Amino acid sequence: MSTTVKAEPAQPGQDDQPRRPVWRRLFIRPEAGSLVGAVAIFVFFFATAAPFRQLDSFATVLYTAAVLGIMAVAVGLLMIGGEFDLSAGVAVTTSAIAAATITYQFTLNVWVGVFAALGVSLAIGFFNGYVVIKTGIPSFLVTLGMLLMLQGANLAVTRLVTGTVSTQRISDMDGYAALEAIFASEWTIGGVRIRVLVLWWLLFVAIATWVLLRTRIGNWIFAVGGNKDSARAVGVPVARVKIGLYMTVGFAAWFVGMHLLFSLHTIQAGEGVGKEFEYIIAAVIGGCLLTGGYGSAVGAAMGAFIFGMTNQGIVYAGWNPDWYYTFLGAMLLLATLLNMYVRRSAAKR
Amino acid sequence: MTAETILQMSDIVKTFPGVRALDGVDLDVRKGEVHCLLGQNGAGKSTLIKVLSGAHQPDSGTITWQGERVRLNTPMAAMNQGIATIYQELDLVDGLSVAENIYLGHELAAAGFSRHGDTERAAGRLLERLGHPEISPQQEVGKLPAAGQQIVSMARALSHDVQLIVMDEPSAVLDQEEVGRLFSVIRDLTADDIAVIYISHRLEEIREIGDRVTVLKDGRTVATGLSAPDTPTSELIREMTGRDVEYAFPERGMTAEDAPVVLDVAGLSSPGDFTDVDLRVRRGEIVGLAGLVGSGRSEILETIYGARKAGSGSVTVDGRRIRPGSVAAAVNAGVGLCPEERKTQGLLLDEAIYRNVSLATLGRFARGGFLRRGDERAQAEQHVRALDVRPADVERTAGTLSGGNQQKIVLARWLLRECRVLLLDEPTRGVDVGARSELYALVRRLADEGVAVVLVSSEIPEVLGLADRVLVLSEGHVVHEGQADDIDEHQVLDLVMEGSAA
Ligand SMILES: Nc1ncnc2c1ncn2[C@@H]1O[C@H](COP(=O)(O)OP(=O)(O)OP(=O)(O)O)[C@@H](O)[C@H]1O
Ligand SMILES: [Mg+2]
Repeated sequence: MSTTVKAEPAQPGQDDQPRRPVWRRLFIRPEAGSLVGAVAIFVFFFATAAPFRQLDSFATVLYTAAVLGIMAVAVGLLMIGGEFDLSAGVAVTTSAIAAATITYQFTLNVWVGVFAALGVSLAIGFFNGYVVIKTGIPSFLVTLGMLLMLQGANLAVTRLVTGTVSTQRISDMDGYAALEAIFASEWTIGGVRIRVLVLWWLLFVAIATWVLLRTRIGNWIFAVGGNKDSARAVGVPVARVKIGLYMTVGFAAWFVGMHLLFSLHTIQAGEGVGKEFEYIIAAVIGGCLLTGGYGSAVGAAMGAFIFGMTNQGIVYAGWNPDWYYTFLGAMLLLATLLNMYVRRSAAKR
Repeated sequence: MTAETILQMSDIVKTFPGVRALDGVDLDVRKGEVHCLLGQNGAGKSTLIKVLSGAHQPDSGTITWQGERVRLNTPMAAMNQGIATIYQELDLVDGLSVAENIYLGHELAAAGFSRHGDTERAAGRLLERLGHPEISPQQEVGKLPAAGQQIVSMARALSHDVQLIVMDEPSAVLDQEEVGRLFSVIRDLTADDIAVIYISHRLEEIREIGDRVTVLKDGRTVATGLSAPDTPTSELIREMTGRDVEYAFPERGMTAEDAPVVLDVAGLSSPGDFTDVDLRVRRGEIVGLAGLVGSGRSEILETIYGARKAGSGSVTVDGRRIRPGSVAAAVNAGVGLCPEERKTQGLLLDEAIYRNVSLATLGRFARGGFLRRGDERAQAEQHVRALDVRPADVERTAGTLSGGNQQKIVLARWLLRECRVLLLDEPTRGVDVGARSELYALVRRLADEGVAVVLVSSEIPEVLGLADRVLVLSEGHVVHEGQADDIDEHQVLDLVMEGSAA
């Protein structure tokens, strides 16, 4: 039996909702604060550091931002979904070590190693998500445990197979060239070095934005981060969404890990510790709330861009790079204040 | 109306650690009827409907839906069968828009793309159908008042292709006019042969809208198939409580004409909320504020309490003016507010009941930096008993209590705190009939002990019955002030309507 309760199909051109002016809607977007911040920092370095004005420097800034940004976008999505991943930084290294070690030890085609590494990364993400969901232990603790386990395993496994703390070179093995082209190629056009990773980053940001704003899964991510119990009560598959988000972080860690492997050739097993905070900071600068349910992928990308500019800008300005973290910390606080202001005024309308 | 049974729940058992919430419940619902579920706080009503909506799995028992035995493992499964639920605790995602909330879990999408425009238009039509075209589908849900959020929950239920809608205390946050609108929606639904399970502690509502009644007590069905319009109130109450409860308001004390004024509010205004409110409460007096939701009642209380800053005017307690916009100043002056939104405002869901009760009074139980847990517990226990919280075990965590019992905990907190001025916002919301008369008696006793009480309630008979004096509010203006005895319910309603028509 059908009932009259179901909403009738929409009629076109019947949009009688009063719309807010465009600038108002833009201004209340989560990434508004970070956009303003990014412009301010850009102008600042543009004015104070002469080398910063060259196009090639800008390409370098973008590249620095991309290495961080791919992870920041995935971590940002996870944060919107209400969870943390402290193991994300080390997981990048784990992925690269896995690919190098498996390929080298078993003298396999590099493709096999790379896909095995993908399996490892997704499994790590799945494990994080599964434990968080099934046990209810805060994700902070679960992923802290994972961080320590991976950190130890990275060193132990590498030393076990190579006797040192860095992986063997695999650049002469089958399949290397094609993979290097995918993950780490670069072209010089008019004196400007264009790295493929930047393009990948932009693509991932676009996909994440589309998923968040234009698909039902996006709605679900906001919902599980905003109010997990309500979301579950109306039929949102909370466990699948959260595990999926952890696996997305796993995927991003794999991607960045592969980039590092194919651009650096060897991986230092101790790398990656502390990076997880940079991802989280980038996401927060970009307007993601630590409590979940709010944020944007573009914002997380902006946060990474701000990172990239600061990182390089300090060098170009000829300052002592020791100040980098001081600068970054101040920026984090300022950005958070700005974001809070944006949210408040959005609330007031 | 056909008498065809659409839903049959038999011998449902559900246990939580330490509690047998459902202990063999039977329920049968017919097509197109409004089936009312009655029972005291903690009787198991919400648990039963959570089993029906797939949110809880029963330990044993069977559910027969449209003639077939079904297992409802997830909320999605229940929805796919055509069972939609409006939960007791508001259960929306604050950060999402109205339209997104309505279609959460069953988004309108084509080839992976959400259809934002269609979603918003469809949501708009549902809201219109519920008589609330003013709620914008694009608005963020967290910014709607409680009543508005209730409407959104309702629209969400209606957005499904349903055969049965379960409503767990939908009227608790609505005023009389909105309850009327809700009833006309329910009548539309039942005319389409859709069944409704309706839970409420207000017996008048059940008489008006209900067809049949099932009564739960301590997780068991104690009566079923009672006629909603014809069963005497006394019988319903006896079934629910197992005893005869006198449903009456306590005797008014005589407030002496010359009793000192404790709370003196003069010319209080807050642009957009209320204008030029004068309110004087003498020692031992209960003053009621009547009016519709949105007439500024709650805002006035919050302003007195310092949680909002007034545009102009003054609040004086015991002759001393308190600093506007400061809760600390108000609390120091002896003002206490029991807020309307008790679930969100100040219940520590993971803490023991007694800690929740004594939260506002910890100072009293501290000696040399240590809390005297024994005293703390004993005091809390006394109030918990008085309000008939079930189970009356003060060590349980607050989050495991039923909705109504959680309300009682917050009430107990404010009653335990010795205030000079007690502001009560909807104190009986969600509280069962048995506990209501206890609560009325408690409030009256506090007044007799010299507390000045301000009472806000959507239930006009409650305001008229409990208060000594009444102020009627309409759109932020006081339109009437007088003795509670000199005015009746209809006059109050007329005043409220006139005011909003003008
Ligand atoms: N998650 C839970 N954990 C432990 N006990 C619970 C839980 N949910 C409910 N209970 C217990 O089950 C019993 C029934 O609760 P339920 O919420 O069904 O009552 P109710 O009839 O809806 O009451 P109210 O009128 O107050 O809403 C109560 O004793 C309650 O404490
Ligand atoms: Mg209930």
